[in-house]
Amino acid sequence: MASVSIRNVRKSYGTVEIIKGVSIDIQDGEFVILVGPSGCGKSTLLRMIAGLEEISGGTVAIDDRVVNDVPPKDRDIAMVFQNYALYPHMTIADNMSFALRLKNTAKSEITAKVERAAGILGLGPLLGRFPRQLSGGQRQRVAMGRAIVRDPKVFLFDEPLSNLDAKLRVQMRTEIKEMHQRLKTTTVYVTHDQIEAMTMADKIVVMHDGIIEQIGAPLDLYDNPANMFVAGFIGSPAMNFIPGSIGGDGFTTEGGDRLPLGGRVPAASDGRPAVYGVRPEHFRLADDGMAAEVVVVEPTGSETQMVLRPLGAKAGREDRKRELTWVLRERTGAKPGEVVRIAPDPALAHLFNPDTGLRL
Amino acid sequence: MSRPLRKLLDKAGMAVCVLLLVSPALLFFIWMLSLSLKFEIDNGAYPPILIPDRFAWKNYTTIFEGNSFLLYFWNSLIVTGAATLFALVVGVPAGYGIARMKAHKSAVVIMIARMTPGLSFLIPLFLLFQWLGLLGTLWPQIIIHLVVTVPIVIWIMIGYFETTPMELEEAAMVDGATRWQIFAKVALPIAKPGIVVAFILSVIFSWNNFVFGIVLASRETRTLPVAVYNMLSFEQVSWGPLAAAALVVTLPVLILTVAAQRQIVAGLTAGAVKGG
Repeated sequence: MASVSIRNVRKSYGTVEIIKGVSIDIQDGEFVILVGPSGCGKSTLLRMIAGLEEISGGTVAIDDRVVNDVPPKDRDIAMVFQNYALYPHMTIADNMSFALRLKNTAKSEITAKVERAAGILGLGPLLGRFPRQLSGGQRQRVAMGRAIVRDPKVFLFDEPLSNLDAKLRVQMRTEIKEMHQRLKTTTVYVTHDQIEAMTMADKIVVMHDGIIEQIGAPLDLYDNPANMFVAGFIGSPAMNFIPGSIGGDGFTTEGGDRLPLGGRVPAASDGRPAVYGVRPEHFRLADDGMAAEVVVVEPTGSETQMVLRPLGAKAGREDRKRELTWVLRERTGAKPGEVVRIAPDPALAHLFNPDTGLRL
Repeated sequence: MSRPLRKLLDKAGMAVCVLLLVSPALLFFIWMLSLSLKFEIDNGAYPPILIPDRFAWKNYTTIFEGNSFLLYFWNSLIVTGAATLFALVVGVPAGYGIARMKAHKSAVVIMIARMTPGLSFLIPLFLLFQWLGLLGTLWPQIIIHLVVTVPIVIWIMIGYFETTPMELEEAAMVDGATRWQIFAKVALPIAKPGIVVAFILSVIFSWNNFVFGIVLASRETRTLPVAVYNMLSFEQVSWGPLAAAALVVTLPVLILTVAAQRQIVAGLTAGAVKGG
């Protein structure tokens, strides 16, 4: 177990800078998830921690030892790859014990460690098989077993669940979290799936275009996003962004509707343009709310999602982004074309600067 | 048109196409077989006879009686075996290195060695081997066959290693393997089908090579293709024994290819890195 300290790390390929100075402190035993859209540099950052990519600037330290020039084999880390990367010519037992055999570990110790890991992951009956004889979920477990057997300082996961089907992904998510609670090994996990990040992480690092947008606990990011990117990225369905301006004690949308601010008016902001952010579940029916036409109703059983078009806004294709999403816990008889009146909960709404994207 | 009939016609059309495509190779082979089993009188007959009334098994026995055929067979085995073995020992790591370093320029340089016509460097090399006192041994032929076998092995292995997933080697790197351990314990075992292909092609090219043998071989160090050529005499061409000898020369390579083909197919399906 170990801490990982990333200090002002940069990565460039030629003149193209992929990671533009990133600093993260990872405590001993912490489960940290790097999340962001494709191409944000999260996988590259993970590979730099692993030693598979050279570091162009800054330092990476594992347990206070700078490892910039330490080859992967001497970093005492274990990595789980997206494609599992199981050695196809070795049995499951051999796959799991490969690292130990390279270190000339005693046979009895190898057997004990492999059996312990196989026990944790339920791989016992599969030890004699080859990777090609296993299903996707089983292979994923073997890849994790290979990491557990090592008993490394840090676990690194590179989008380990993206090759699995939806149901298995949810199951493996729980298993990985359980495994971490049991072993308490420092873990860095990369994913583009914010649900994975929300459900598993102790700490989430939201990355975008090679920089860190925000670091924080999952619910902290959800409740207090630092900017519009984080607000829009975390949470599904995504937060509604309504452009307009602040005036008096409220917010006026471009369509002319009034939205409440609950007295949280930023200073010196009369008439100032702003973006009103409200999560889909933070609307409620209100007689004095804004009128909106129901466009689509999507019942999922446990909840209902509704796409609404504010009547203040002109209908048309370019107004698609003005459409709002509303999530209700209860079932509804609303039909497309009906008009409902809804109001956001001002205590849970956010205001953003439309130019910088920062929260006001 | 009814459906079964249509299907039948489709199949027949396919069969005709396949026959047309393979006929040059196949007919050539069948004719060689026919020649090797006919007496001289039948071989010259017009219209040509495909299946003779009497089989001339004698053609096969004469090649083993008259010439030192077994010696030449042994020579061929040594030259091809040594040249292929050495090519694999050098070429597989070289192919791996070039593929991983993306050193495509050095790959081109190696290809140039293969493209240069053999005759352009045969004579200087002949003088060199004479000066070294190696003529009369199999060494000159083994060494010069490397010009054929090494590039083949390297090029096939470059192509193969470029397709093997990098993630496996990265996994081994993280698992604590050194460069050589990664090569020996991960890259090499996975590349087995590629190595088999390289081995077979190297054997075929080396086994059938004629030019190097005719220049460098003495009476005792002839390889099989040269020996077959020497069956053509000035007075007459005895087609029967010649065809029989050619068939015997082809046989080992043929058997090897057929035997190893299964290995190649089995190897291709064994990879399986991704799910599904």
